[in-house]
Amino acid sequence: MTNETVGKRYMPEISRREIDELKSTMKAASQKVMAENIERMKKADPKRPQAMKYFDEISNLFGKRQEEIQAEKEKGKKVIGYMCLFAPTELILAADAIPVRVNSGWYDTSKLGDRVVPVEVCPVIRSTIGAKMIELSPFLEQSDALISVLTCDGMTKLGEILSDYKTIWGMNVPRIKDSAHSLRFWNDEIKQMKTQIEQFTGNKITRKNLKEAIEMSHRATKAFRRLQELRKGSPVIMGRDAMLVNQTFLWDDKQRWTEKTEALCDELEKRAQRKDWVCSPDTPRVMITGTPMFWPDNWKLPTLVEEANPQGIIVADELCSGERILNDPVGVDEWSMDDMLNAIGERYLMASTCPCFTSKDGNEDRINWLLNKVKDWNVQGVIYYVVRGCMLYAMEYTRVKKALDKINIPVYYLDTEYTREDVGQMKTRVEAFLEMLTARVDI
Amino acid sequence: MNTVGMDLGTQRVKVVVLKDGEIASRGQALSGFDPAKAAEQAVNEALKKANLKLSDVAYFVATGSAMDIAPYANSTVSMMGADAKAGVFLFPKARTIIDVGAEEARAVKCDEKGIMVDFVVNERCAAGAGVFIEAMARALEVKLEDMGPLALKAERASPINASCVIFGESDVVSLIHRQEPKPEIARAVFDAMADRISSMIHRLGVNPDVVLVGGVAKDEGFVASLNRKLGVNVMVPDYPDYAGALGAALTAATRAKETQK
Repeated sequence: MTNETVGKRYMPEISRREIDELKSTMKAASQKVMAENIERMKKADPKRPQAMKYFDEISNLFGKRQEEIQAEKEKGKKVIGYMCLFAPTELILAADAIPVRVNSGWYDTSKLGDRVVPVEVCPVIRSTIGAKMIELSPFLEQSDALISVLTCDGMTKLGEILSDYKTIWGMNVPRIKDSAHSLRFWNDEIKQMKTQIEQFTGNKITRKNLKEAIEMSHRATKAFRRLQELRKGSPVIMGRDAMLVNQTFLWDDKQRWTEKTEALCDELEKRAQRKDWVCSPDTPRVMITGTPMFWPDNWKLPTLVEEANPQGIIVADELCSGERILNDPVGVDEWSMDDMLNAIGERYLMASTCPCFTSKDGNEDRINWLLNKVKDWNVQGVIYYVVRGCMLYAMEYTRVKKALDKINIPVYYLDTEYTREDVGQMKTRVEAFLEMLTARVDI
Repeated sequence: MNTVGMDLGTQRVKVVVLKDGEIASRGQALSGFDPAKAAEQAVNEALKKANLKLSDVAYFVATGSAMDIAPYANSTVSMMGADAKAGVFLFPKARTIIDVGAEEARAVKCDEKGIMVDFVVNERCAAGAGVFIEAMARALEVKLEDMGPLALKAERASPINASCVIFGESDVVSLIHRQEPKPEIARAVFDAMADRISSMIHRLGVNPDVVLVGGVAKDEGFVASLNRKLGVNVMVPDYPDYAGALGAALTAATRAKETQK
């Protein structure tokens, strides 16, 4: 799928003037939102770790990181964007290209997406379409090609729509996980992607550079897991801060991100020794699961939870925009090319808890993730977050609720949209839920 | 000890004064554009009826959509938490409390102490709430308070679309054009609301001891439809619209005792 030979199949004609005007308004609004979010995060923890400064800076979507990527591009490096977590970033890194995830968290651009697809469509998709329409996202603009993994319906068509502008590489994902046939099929997709990336970048993926790339992700996973360990006890970091660290991995330089995360953990360890908690250890401990939440605009739920009265603290999540990014390492036995490629395949398919999969036990892996988190992170309540149009997450709610009911963990289904207007209503619900958790703690 | 609960709702502010755990008086005012001022009026009215001064009150708790701007409030409680408290105070056996107000419908499940254990709220749509009846009454050209008695006269209901206030209204208009009898249309309105609310309650798990509160609980047409839908006889207290304020006043009593400790 490329845009070289065909005209625009989906995207409406939009004048350069309109693009420029909308882009400058929305960029200004977004910069304000990012600054505001960070201000609020600073206020939530007056003794916020020094190491967060780095992540605040790197979280600026129009800031330093996109300048760095631009400079690299000018030196001849390729940027490969992706929309789903299943894109094998190790292959991109091995070919000396830059992986960036390009899903949009901008509310305003979802309204532009309405010009292309109906409002019933998931706003993550609509917003990404809108962002492309006005060239708002530096990372999406910088992408020389996009990996479109055909997971949910929205993602499947998003790639097709973006092919009006970009070179798209589709990856066909099998949806039944527990079958040797599925894994073989997917591993073939991974191998094809390797060839694709090699041809496109002109860089051969060798045993050596692939091993280095896998080891790089191992180090990142290790740093990430260290951060997660620190969230098991009394709170030493606000959930929002940890979520931001987590999400910046999607566009940051992997080596530097890992170092900075380790530095953050060093600081947090000392904080834990001092018993200098970010909030009272009695604060209800919340886990978020459901639709991915993207920086910067769609930060409203974490903000609401941690600024609510009574307050809650997010200690864990099961989001493909959060912990799922780094939770699972690529497990290699023998460092042969074949083995590494198969290990990558297995990591992206088998470890995934995305509801686009099913198996003979249904999406049992997701249930297990949630139950383990509840137990090990001492989660007291779960918020099941769904945006309108996110069918797969909406449909799996009943099963998740039943599983959590069994272990007596309250779960609240919170549905929303890419909009700021429902914050009041959401606040009422979130606060009632936290009040309920607090009452349970008191008993 | 005296405590006051204030419920700053979208249409009205309701106030309940508790004297040693008994309801001493009630007060209310239209929320208008200044709910804080309305709350002041309602509090003063209620205190006057109970022969009390502001300084006689040990603790104030606010609830309702405008609770964050409530005057006098020492703290706040969620609307669902207040409903649970009030429901169990009024009917000790109650474990499910349904609250249907002007713009929101919710259902709360609670334990024997009135502590909520689960809740659901209507989803971004007012078709299951009081304003739906108001809009339909306008379309039918009957007074709001006549809707209930009118519906009770119906033998059956005309089918309408209750997914949305606006579409519901156009459905009602077309039924009028087809000259369907008004009582049947009125009953259809209540049935449609009861349908939405009962599916909400089914998500919580039905329980025979259901209490219905909120302004809409005063509407006998709605109560009849809801009873038919749920297959139980819901319990409706006197002054159902004051349940939120009562729950807040009860919470105030608990919190006042805690602070004295």
